[in-house]
Formats: sequence, C-alpha cells, structure tokens
Amino acid sequence: MTPGKKNLLTYSYYPGCSLHASGREYDISTQALFKALNLGLKEVPDWFCCGATPAHNVDELLSLSLCAKNLSLADQVEGDLAVACAACFSRLKTTQHHLKEDDTKRHQVETAIAGPASLGKPVKHILEILARDFGLARLEESVKKPLLGLKVAAYYGCLLTRPPEVPELDDCEDPSIMEDILRALGAEPVKWSHRMECCGANFTLSRPGVVLKLSNAILTSAQEAKADCIMVACPLCHGNLDIRQESINKYGTPEGSLMGNIFGSDYIPGSEDGARREMPIFYVTQLAALAMGVPTDKLGLESVIVDPRPLLYEKNLL
Amino acid sequence: MSRIGVFVCHCGENISRTVDVERVAKEAGEIPGVAYSCDYKYMCSDPGQNLLKKAVAEHNLDGALVAACSPRMHEKTFRKAASAAGLNPYLCEMGNIREHCSWVHEDREEATAKASDIVKFMVERVKKGKSLAPITVPVTKKALIIGGGIAGIQAALDIADAGHQVVMVEREPSIGGHMAQLSETFPTLDCSQCIMTPKMVDVANHPNITLYTYAEIEKVDGYIGNFQVTVRKKARSVDESKCTGCGVCMTKCPKKKIPNDFDQGHGMRTAIYVPFPQAVPNTPVIDRQNCTMFQSGKCGVCQKVCGPGAVDFEQQDTLTVESVGAIVVATGFKLYSIERKPEESAIQGYGEFGYGTIPDIIDGMTFERLASASGPTGGRILRPSDGKEPKQVVFIQCVGSRAREKGISYCSKVCCMYTAKHTMLYHHKVHDGQAYVFYMDARTPGKGYDEFWRRAVEEEEAVYIRGMVSRMYQRGDKIVVMGSDTLVGVQVEIEADLVVMATAVQAQDGADLLAQKLGISYDKYNFYSEAHAKLKPVECATAGIYLAGACQGPKDIPDTVSQASAAAAKVMTLFAKDQLERDPVVAKVNEKYCVGCLACKKVCPYGAVEEREIRDRQGNLVKVVANVNPGVCGGCGTCQATCPSKSVELDGYTDEQIMAMIESL
Repeated sequence: MTPGKKNLLTYSYYPGCSLHASGREYDISTQALFKALNLGLKEVPDWFCCGATPAHNVDELLSLSLCAKNLSLADQVEGDLAVACAACFSRLKTTQHHLKEDDTKRHQVETAIAGPASLGKPVKHILEILARDFGLARLEESVKKPLLGLKVAAYYGCLLTRPPEVPELDDCEDPSIMEDILRALGAEPVKWSHRMECCGANFTLSRPGVVLKLSNAILTSAQEAKADCIMVACPLCHGNLDIRQESINKYGTPEGSLMGNIFGSDYIPGSEDGARREMPIFYVTQLAALAMGVPTDKLGLESVIVDPRPLLYEKNLL
Repeated sequence: MSRIGVFVCHCGENISRTVDVERVAKEAGEIPGVAYSCDYKYMCSDPGQNLLKKAVAEHNLDGALVAACSPRMHEKTFRKAASAAGLNPYLCEMGNIREHCSWVHEDREEATAKASDIVKFMVERVKKGKSLAPITVPVTKKALIIGGGIAGIQAALDIADAGHQVVMVEREPSIGGHMAQLSETFPTLDCSQCIMTPKMVDVANHPNITLYTYAEIEKVDGYIGNFQVTVRKKARSVDESKCTGCGVCMTKCPKKKIPNDFDQGHGMRTAIYVPFPQAVPNTPVIDRQNCTMFQSGKCGVCQKVCGPGAVDFEQQDTLTVESVGAIVVATGFKLYSIERKPEESAIQGYGEFGYGTIPDIIDGMTFERLASASGPTGGRILRPSDGKEPKQVVFIQCVGSRAREKGISYCSKVCCMYTAKHTMLYHHKVHDGQAYVFYMDARTPGKGYDEFWRRAVEEEEAVYIRGMVSRMYQRGDKIVVMGSDTLVGVQVEIEADLVVMATAVQAQDGADLLAQKLGISYDKYNFYSEAHAKLKPVECATAGIYLAGACQGPKDIPDTVSQASAAAAKVMTLFAKDQLERDPVVAKVNEKYCVGCLACKKVCPYGAVEEREIRDRQGNLVKVVANVNPGVCGGCGTCQATCPSKSVELDGYTDEQIMAMIESL
C-alpha cells in the first residue's frame, strides 16, 4: 500500500485467470469497489496463471516458478499486491513462504525464472485490504447504502486461512474477518456451521458427485441458519455454489459418494419441507460495492446463475 | 615451581573420537609447572580416580587438572578424589574438552589443538589457585511446602512424620487441590475423596504442620538452610480462631447463585462459603467481589447469625515471616481453556470446537464433577444445557496437547487413562449409552494401566476411533462432531449429546511469577525445571528447593505421590545435618581498597552485599565498605566485573587467575 497523490492507497493487482473468465463479475466488482473507495489498482502487466491446484500437484518446482515469475512481474508495479482469488492468494503466499524457508529451492526457482524471486512484495487479499489497510472504521464511514436486514452467511472455504503459517489472514480455524466486514457494511452475518468446510473445489470437473455432496451441506447449513445469501471470496467456491446450485437442489446427494459415514445416520441435508429455495452467492466485493453506492449495473449481478436481484429488491437494496 | 598433574580423559569415545588425547597429554607434560601427565579411558571410574590419587602421592603434586567433561558433571567427583589424596579440593580443576570441544567440532586436528589450549590455560589457573576451605552454614530444620494438593500433602506428611516442622501454604481456601475434585481414580476406580480427605485431615491435625490456607508467597529471601519466606495471608473475613465451622452463615447468606469453581462453575455456592463440604480447614471465606456487604454495605446477615462472632468485615491481609531450611514447590497444574486464541499468547485456541459457546462441550474436570457423588448432579451424568441424560457421548483426547501448530507440543500424560476411566464411569451410570473416543495414540504405560484401557474397550464397550476432530457445531439439541477415522480412512460424523474434551495440562497461573520469587528456572510452558532430568529429578538447580507433582510437568497421582515422597526424602537428608557445607567460591572484599561506592550492592542478584562501617578504637567512623555475606553469595562474579576499584574478587576466579589464563594463549 503506497499512499498516492491521486488515490488514498495504491495497489498492484493480480486478478488471476478466473477473474478474466468464469469469475468476471469478481473482477468487475473489485475494480468498481476500489474506485469507489478511492483506492488505486494497477494490473500487473503480462501476468499469467499462478498454476493453481494442478501445477503443484504435478510439479512443485513448476508451481513455485510460475508464482515467482508473477511476483517478479508484480515487483515492477508500485504498491502491495492485491489478490482477489483465494487460490492465487494461497499459491503466491505459499511460494514466498517456501522460498524464504528453503535456500536450495529458491536457487532452483531463480535459475528457472532467470532472475531474483521477489519475496518481499506484500501479497494481500482483498479482505485484508478492506479490513486492515483501509480499515473497518473507515469502511463503515464510507458506506452510502447500508445492507440493512440482509442476513449473510460468510463462507471462507479452505484456502483463505489455511495452512496457518502461510496466509496470516486471520485465525486459521475460527476467523472473523468476513463477518467484521459484513457488520461494517450494515449487513447481518449469521452464525453457521459450515463456513470453513470444503466446497469440493476443482473436483467439480473430475468428480462432480463430491462437489454436489459437499456444496449441498454448505447450502443447507446456510439455509438452516436462516441466511438470505452466501458471501464468498473465491471464484471456485462461487462456481461450485452458484453454477452447480441447480443440480445440487435437484439431485440432492448422490448415493455412493466419497464420504462414507460409518456411525450414526448418514445425514442428508435439506430443508424441512424438502424444498429448497435458491440461495444467491455474492462476492465480497459485490456486496461492498453495493453498500458504497456503486450503480448496480457495474456489479456483474446479471452474469451469475442464481439471480440475486429479486433478493436485493426484496430488501430494498436495488 | 608448581607440580601439577594433568589427566586427560577419553570419555569412552566421546572425546577420543575427535581429539587426539594422547597428544594432548604429551603436550601438557611440556607445560612449565606440569610434573605429570597421562590419558585414561574413563577418568571418572574407580580406576581413573585411583590413577589421580596415586599420581598425587607418587609425584608429590600440588595441583591437578582433569581434562574431561563439564565441571557441572564431575567436578565434585574429582575434587573428592583429590581431597582423599591429601590435596586441597579447590586446587583440583576441570578443563572441559567434551562439551566445549569434542562434541561441537569435527576436524580432529583443530579439535586437538583447541583441547591443548584448554589444558594450557586451565593449568595456569590451577597454578594461581588458592587452597580454600568450605563454608559451613547452619540449617533451619523446618520445611515450607507451597501448594496443598496431593503432592504438597504427601511431602508435608512425610517430613512432619520424620519429626520436622512443616509450614504449608495453599492459595485456595481449602487444601485438597485437583485430587479432591476427582470422582474415581484410575486404574483401581477407588473413590478419590475417600483416599484424599483423610490425608487432608491428617495435615490439619498434625502437631508438626502449620497450615496457611487462602495465603500466597509474597517474598523469598535467603538460601539453602536459611530461607526467610514472607507469606501473605489474604483476608478471609472470618476469624479462624473463633469459627467453629457450624455453617449457619452459609445457610443464611442471601447470595446463593454464585458459580462454584470447585464444581467447574456448574454448582452454586453462597458469598460466604467453603469450596466443598469436606474442606480443610472447615472455615468459610467471604468472596468480597460477590458479597452484598462489601459491594453495597447493606447485609451483614452472616455476622448477625454467627454465634462465636467470627465474621470480621474489617479483616486485612496479614504478612507473616517464616524461617525455613528447605522449600518444596508443589503448585500443581491447570487445564487448558479452549477458546479463541488469547491476544499476545503463543497458544492458539480451538474456536472451531465451539467451546464456551456450546454448553454441552465440557472438559475432563467438569466430567469428573458430574460423575462425583459430591458434584452438582449428585453423581448422575446429566448434561449442562437441559439436564438430560446423554445417550451418545464423544470423548476427544489430545485437545491442546501434542498439537505443535496450536502451541503445545508435549503429551499431557494423564488423559489417555482418565478418558478410559470416563468411558467406564459413563457406562456404569448410563447402561444404554454409547461412548466414543477420538484418540491419536493410547499411551498407557504404568502398572495395570494397559489392562485398564483394554477393559474400557473390550468390556465396557467404548468405541475408540483413531483420528482427530476437525469441527463441532450445534444442530438442534445435538452436537455434530466431524472427525476422521484414520484406520478405516473415512470421515466420520457423530451426533453427540455431550462432548468431553481431554484438554492439555498446563502450569498453574502465576507459576512464572512464583519461580521468579524463588529464583528457580522454568521452561517455555512455565513448568519448573529439575536440576537433571534423570539423576536429579526432584531438585531445582537452586539449592534447597525441591519439586513435587505436576508443577514440574504433567503427572498422574501415583507419579505425583512418588515424587512428593522423594522430595520429602531430599529435605530429610538436608535436615539430617546440623551444619551445611557450601562451596567457598564466594566474593571477598578487599577493605583496604574499597571506597564504599556500593556499586556491587546494586548489581548483586542475591542481595549478598551489605554496608559495613569501619570504626577506630574510639568508635569514630573511618569509612564505609562493602561486605559480602558468604552464606548468601551465589558466586556469580557480577560484583567483580562491576567494581571500579577492583577491590572485590571471587575466590577461585581471581583477576590474577583469569589474566594468567588469557596470557597463556
């Protein structure tokens, strides 16, 4: 974060592949939110994929090198590196963590990318920028349209806080940063059980049954907690909960899924009357931008599957 | 010319592997003043010591240097041998060529050269050494026991039965500690109260024991054999000499809904209270924070109903000084409280377990109170939220323990056994209930321990699931426990009515502060450190202070009692002599040069320096000088380094000796 003349704080920005594709609305709303908060955001030139989950499953050195190269590109742009995607955030931070701890690996990576690895560039998730750099008090003051009456289930997923030594975002198993932001925006975070559970992540392509089961548990838990919607900070979580929601609601839990349960009843969630209403899934930046008074056509609300607009209309937020 | 003998030890292979000991011995022989040198495989063995004794006699040696391990290890051994051979023991020194040389170096050539150097400068030190005589100090044959749990009680009774006076100081209003809270004890399932309360009464009735309850250690001065301990007796608001323990005050007290710590907050007590009916002494105490009289000045019912007039609202804390010769520290443990990570703490909490927010997730000690006949439920297993009998109970072991990522890496040692016990107690009381245990390993070394655990599994139908719990949350009136079964390789969800967590055993609150008052060392978890893990397990590095029980590390009752008796035996050994010999390595002031600036007094960590006035025969003050009390001096040498006029020196570490050592290199 660099205080600038024009902007309050200036950040370099690594959007990552999802934000230019399936999670475009996350990118749009992030840009709009930063503009509304008078925060500078400059995209890293020529950035490329961080390798995400596939790279480090196949070749650790490749995965570290991809991130190291991106970090050195980011070094050319002023300001701490803002990252919106939880996976990119995790990979970039993990790379810095590993290379700081292991000189041999750092040497290998620096040979591979033909240059020094940038280990000092602060990598910050959007949540961190909102809650810490910008600050909750200032965020609350900046709100033009408080999200009154909106009950939100804040969903963290796996990577934002884990493993504990890497992201340094919040308590690894019992965080509160999303709830804090929601309160600052005037919304009401609900207390619910599945905010730290996995959604199934990239099994969405290879083993969709896993995703249906896990995401179903998350949606059910949010509904049981009387949430109106779920807030996420990861494009993959959004994809699973939003895009797959129709199949989740329709098919429920498939038989013979991965999750065996050897004790007690196999709990198959669902609302009491068996029916489940649609649950809009928001990005944190969409809700924050909405509260900052950003025009609703600049939030990417139209490009998601579960249309959130009826809910917002019902709550007088549109 | 000196006649010094140099003895180079191989220490088996510990030294000779890296250091050419024969060459070191040969080179030592060439140092001026060295009359004899040799090397030997084990200098500390009987033949090794005889070698030294023989050499002293045959070569008429006036000093000896044993180049071997650290003086902390064997200085005493060799000084004793030297003394037996007629040499002043303080003219026998050790050169450390093991810890300081062979163990930390790899290059044989360089290590040998360094060992030779060590020998060379230590020889110079021996040359400039002086014959010293041990200091004798009287021993006060009275022991202080800090803590009135089973450890303190055992040590106190052992020492008192041996005929010595004992002072016991307990922080709480009653002695008994954690053991008084337990229901039944492993591995025999005998009732804890039945074996504990008679011992508590023995302490109270013993003619040799003075008991201070509701009291804390304020200050500790002095040294082995001669400690002065200031005890703060907190204001009880009840005069112990008048109170008959009739209990009318408690029945009449209008404040009746104060959570009782003894029942882990699940039972209720009054503002004037005894922690439990079998308390010793059976004298109530007024909890001033919760007493209407102290808060608003309007009540005083207890005073009005008290026949003997024992209630005293004006009572103040009092300070008492006790002179004792030995101290046994037995301050026990507390259980890890699993909540959100406390600020500024290295220890992570367990927010994901919902502890503190879900009422039916309790810790092991709370379960003990539920299972205890004297507990808040009268011994029935009823869950805290709605008082129903739980039919599915999940026990989780290793909560906080063995969790490096959460800040504690050690094993709490007692949980495997007490969890097995809990499943049995539960099974005995709720026949149609099912107990599940999540565990990492079942660690049951101890007499009859493994058999006990197997009984829980095989006969008492507890289901043991090897794996940890990741999360717990409330669904309706059930607690969903999500965990893994690593033997089967599946994730597990259990809907429990009650969850009992075996939380880590931690050092007591304030353990570090007490250690600072006592001048004893403690580890990063605030457990007190013994002088040697294997050979001095009950002694502190600070002479005259001994450890008993869980304040030194997690321990079960049998181990605690053993250690307490061991500490008592150490105290009795100390008390067996009237005079105590101390090393004469103490500071001495040269009064001729001392200008009385007393810079030494300011830096002395032992408080050993006092002012001394020098007067002429007419009684006129000539000058003020510093004076070191040899009984108190710890021999650290800080005064020597501080003195601007070089007029205070440590015997055995004089400037002359140190300069000679440096010049020899």
